Amino acid sequence: MLPAPFQLARPTELAEAIRLAAATEDSHFHAGGTELLMAMKLRLLRPELLVDLKRIAGLDRIAWAEDASVVIGALATHRQVEQDVIVRRHLPALAALCANVANVRVRSAGTLGGNLCFAEPHADPPTLLAALGARLRLVGPDGEREVAADAFILGEFETAREPAEIMTHITVPVPRGPVAYRRFRHGERPAVNAAVAWTMAADGVTIERARIVVGALGSRPQDVGLLERLLAGRRAGEAAEAVAQGLTDAVGEIEAMDDRHGGADYKRHLAGVLITRNIAEAAAQINGATP
Amino acid sequence: MIRFDSLSEARPDSIDKVTGRAVYATDLDIPGMLHGHVVRSTAVHARIRALDVGAARAAPGVVDVLCGADVASLGCWGLVLKDRPILALDKVRYVGEPIAVVIADSAEAAENAAELVEVDYAALPRVPDSKAALAPGAALVHESHSPLEDFYFRGGARPIDGTNVFHRFLSEVGDVAAAEAAAAHVHEDHFSFPPVFHYALEPHTAIADFREDGLTIWSGAQSPAGVQKVVSRLFGLPLAKVRIVVPYVGGGFGGKASVKIEPLVAAASWKVRRPVRIAQSLSDSMLTCRRLGARITIRTAVDREGLILAKSADIVLDGGAYADTGSAVATKAANRIIGPYVIPNLRLEARAVYTNTVPGAAFRSIGGPQAVWAAECHMDNVAAAIGLSPVEFRLRNLAARGQRIRPDLRPLDMDMGELMGLVRQAMGAASAATGPDARGLALAASDPGIVAIGNALVRLKIDGSVLVAMASVEIGQGVHATMARIAAETLNQPFGSVTVLPTDTGTAPFDWGTGASRSTVIVGASVEAAALDAATQMLDLAAEALAQDRTALALVPGGIATPQGFRSFHEVFHLAYGVDSGEVIGRGALNPRSRGGALREAPLFWETAAGMAEIDVDEDTGAIRLRRYASAADVGRVINRVSAEGQDEGASVQGLGHTLFEALEFEDGQPVNASPVDYNIPTLDDVPDDFHTILVEHHDGPGPGGAKGMGEGAILPIAPAIANALFARYGVRVNDLPLTPEKVWRALRARS
Ligand SMILES: Cc1cc2nc3c(=O)[nH]c(=O)nc-3n(C[C@H](O)[C@H](O)[C@H](O)COP(=O)(O)OP(=O)(O)OC[C@H]3O[C@@H](n4cnc5c(N)ncnc54)[C@H](O)[C@@H]3O)c2cc1C
Repeated sequence: MLPAPFQLARPTELAEAIRLAAATEDSHFHAGGTELLMAMKLRLLRPELLVDLKRIAGLDRIAWAEDASVVIGALATHRQVEQDVIVRRHLPALAALCANVANVRVRSAGTLGGNLCFAEPHADPPTLLAALGARLRLVGPDGEREVAADAFILGEFETAREPAEIMTHITVPVPRGPVAYRRFRHGERPAVNAAVAWTMAADGVTIERARIVVGALGSRPQDVGLLERLLAGRRAGEAAEAVAQGLTDAVGEIEAMDDRHGGADYKRHLAGVLITRNIAEAAAQINGATP
Repeated sequence: MIRFDSLSEARPDSIDKVTGRAVYATDLDIPGMLHGHVVRSTAVHARIRALDVGAARAAPGVVDVLCGADVASLGCWGLVLKDRPILALDKVRYVGEPIAVVIADSAEAAENAAELVEVDYAALPRVPDSKAALAPGAALVHESHSPLEDFYFRGGARPIDGTNVFHRFLSEVGDVAAAEAAAAHVHEDHFSFPPVFHYALEPHTAIADFREDGLTIWSGAQSPAGVQKVVSRLFGLPLAKVRIVVPYVGGGFGGKASVKIEPLVAAASWKVRRPVRIAQSLSDSMLTCRRLGARITIRTAVDREGLILAKSADIVLDGGAYADTGSAVATKAANRIIGPYVIPNLRLEARAVYTNTVPGAAFRSIGGPQAVWAAECHMDNVAAAIGLSPVEFRLRNLAARGQRIRPDLRPLDMDMGELMGLVRQAMGAASAATGPDARGLALAASDPGIVAIGNALVRLKIDGSVLVAMASVEIGQGVHATMARIAAETLNQPFGSVTVLPTDTGTAPFDWGTGASRSTVIVGASVEAAALDAATQMLDLAAEALAQDRTALALVPGGIATPQGFRSFHEVFHLAYGVDSGEVIGRGALNPRSRGGALREAPLFWETAAGMAEIDVDEDTGAIRLRRYASAADVGRVINRVSAEGQDEGASVQGLGHTLFEALEFEDGQPVNASPVDYNIPTLDDVPDDFHTILVEHHDGPGPGGAKGMGEGAILPIAPAIANALFARYGVRVNDLPLTPEKVWRALRARS
């Protein structure tokens, strides 16, 4: 259970890290190492070079941006996100999510960026970040670009990131309506999770736009477009009934894997349960907010 | 009784452990030590056509590679059957079986070189599970059987030639067929229990140092005497030349009982003539041993009043690729499936079979959880079938204190009705949240305390300090502190004055091993006898030296109370020997001939447990949550309350693991989740706040002060108690563990 021999570089500049990674065929960035080192100890991965990102200043900063978004450095740990006052205030669902990921040891070392870049399907943040419309900033040898969270993960352990690109930060627009996130797990990682985020119209009770995303049960987070369309333009109080009507068809379309976390039919059913509970919670947030 | 201040009363090992000073096998560094890495089979069942270790041997840092051919001449070893080679030679029988050991300067070098070992396998037909093992024309995991008799346990394995059955046990009382013919109802059920991993946090680790003048092994072993015996025979060494040292052990639960990796580590050192350390990972240990899975058919015949007329059980245990002590697991499963009930006619059959999976092993109450899972779920099914409540049905059939549940077993030494009443009382009224029926009950009576041979030495020093030498292993249960307390009480010296020597067969007299809930009773009684012997010698010496009547003297802390006042041990020795030096050495021994043969009948005492669970189920997801739990056990006498409660609670929570979470899974013989990443055990979050542990003391056991053994009982009732709650409240019966949300959801869906 020891990794195969490898080189370790600990650059202090972003450009240097990118240059090192680009120059070595088989290199990996190292953030918290919670996934990477485990895969290396099992000798599933044998990188020639690890480029540690932790000495690059500022990559774990969490800040408020003028355009009403929260900018989270990719190297912020789950625990930092969970405890950050800005996140708690503006993105309480994300703070709560991070507080429930894994166990305290993993939360203290594992980073949000590492979670996204590893793209293990049984993960929590990708689902919620997709529903929140987060944008991911990547910096590589060919410059910078921004990728939408829901376009980043392509499949199991597969992302839109090029090998020498570093994720520097995650920009999450502050939601203009209720957000609810739930997951079901029996064991360490989620078997199924679901996120709901509504953008409310000026009247405060009409759903202008709904995002409903399910994750962990398939190879990547999936939009439940059928329900999103059903909810658009509807009043919050009617959401539960509308979702109940479309639910069977909607969950039937979800891609789900048969694996150790459960049979595909069970996981689709669970997705429906989590969506229903999220909708109830979102509606309750509206009810609670309107006199 | 002496009063102690709280610090001096604390378990000495707990201070070592919380300060990080405790030394485990993995912390030791023996001068000149090399590191071994085990190359394991990736084939389920295969002939080894060729093994090429050339590249590994030439790799940097490698000293040598041990192969099957090196040790073939040493032959096979085993506890009940001699079925196990030190390293696979001609064939492999499971994924994970050791085929070579790369020995190098560092663990890194050994592991890197291990990847260079090349094996050419020719696949053989597989025996992936116990059904396949019993199928007509099944491939044979072992072509022939060589059973041992009275080698480790009394008796031996009873294999069936030409089959995969390595042990068959049959017990018949009365006439089951006739009773069933006359019965008002006959009810039959089928249950299964998965193989589960012990999950001791410390994986198997051992260091061996083979020298001209003998062999020393440092290992977290539960049965140092068993290890000593097996390696002495394998290598042709006198027992006195084989020393087994056991530092602190990070949990065992039976997974470090009998003999595990020690012969392999010893062989590595034998080859290179230097100390060799093998420190396994948790994943390696998951490929080393596990509890035997079971398939059980159970049938009960009752009369019109709900009295049980007959019970029969057919138990098939999946023993994996090597027998280890699986025969005893099978026999005990057949004993433990009876339950604390009066049943005039019994037919109990248990078979342990070889399969091409990780070898089975002892695990906390061997065969017990498997048997009690089936027996106590079945009790509720029968009760429901005849329209009685589970409590009423049990009450009608409970055996009373003093009654025998089978003619060849010691009469019950406890009152099961009392324990059942205590858990019901502790649970009180059902909580409104879960509803009135979301409760389940289960009872168990098991037969531990095997091999009543124990020895101890207690040495009283001139300054009143005391040394205890005995071989019970401090495995986290607090046994060393218990022995210290027994010695302190018997000698009337402060607890803090007693030192228990680290476990070392070089200094400790023989003991069979730490398991089967036997240490406090058997070794504890030996320590008590040794302390009494020391006390007697001390008082005799004082009577002579002080010219006093012996009956006028008494031991007090640091010396002797005489009619003329206190005399220190110093003074007594000084007077007696003319110099301020010396010690008395007390010897205590227990064996089947002790106490007029009263210890001979099995079991030495009954280990009991009653459990009651209250659950709620998220019907949308199938997830069970244990809301409240009560566990009661008759332990005779509590010696250390914190440790005793810890044992009982730990056993319950370990049982919650196989109830809701755990199964070591194999797909056609391939391990699926043999890694801590994929194998889940309960955490503190799964344990209800409302958790009652009730220890009953009637001071009527065979141990010191009337103690009985404990620590294995509470693992028995929790699974059936939870399943019975599910049955009572939701009307679904899930017959195979664990009760995962998916299984429960599917059962709930099938119901509606
Ligand atoms: C026991 C356990 C339980 C877990 N349970 C959960 C759970 O319940 N829910 C859940 O969502 N997750 C869970 N996880 C996953 C956990 O969230 C991740 O392990 C963690 O967030 C990964 O972050 P890291 O910094 O350690 O990544 P690393 O291991 O350092 O890196 C992972 C991968 O991402 C790449 N990488 C990392 N950072 C960057 C970057 N900034 N730019 C480019 N590439 C990068 C690395 O090269 C590597 O390939 C669990 C993990 C463990 C070990």
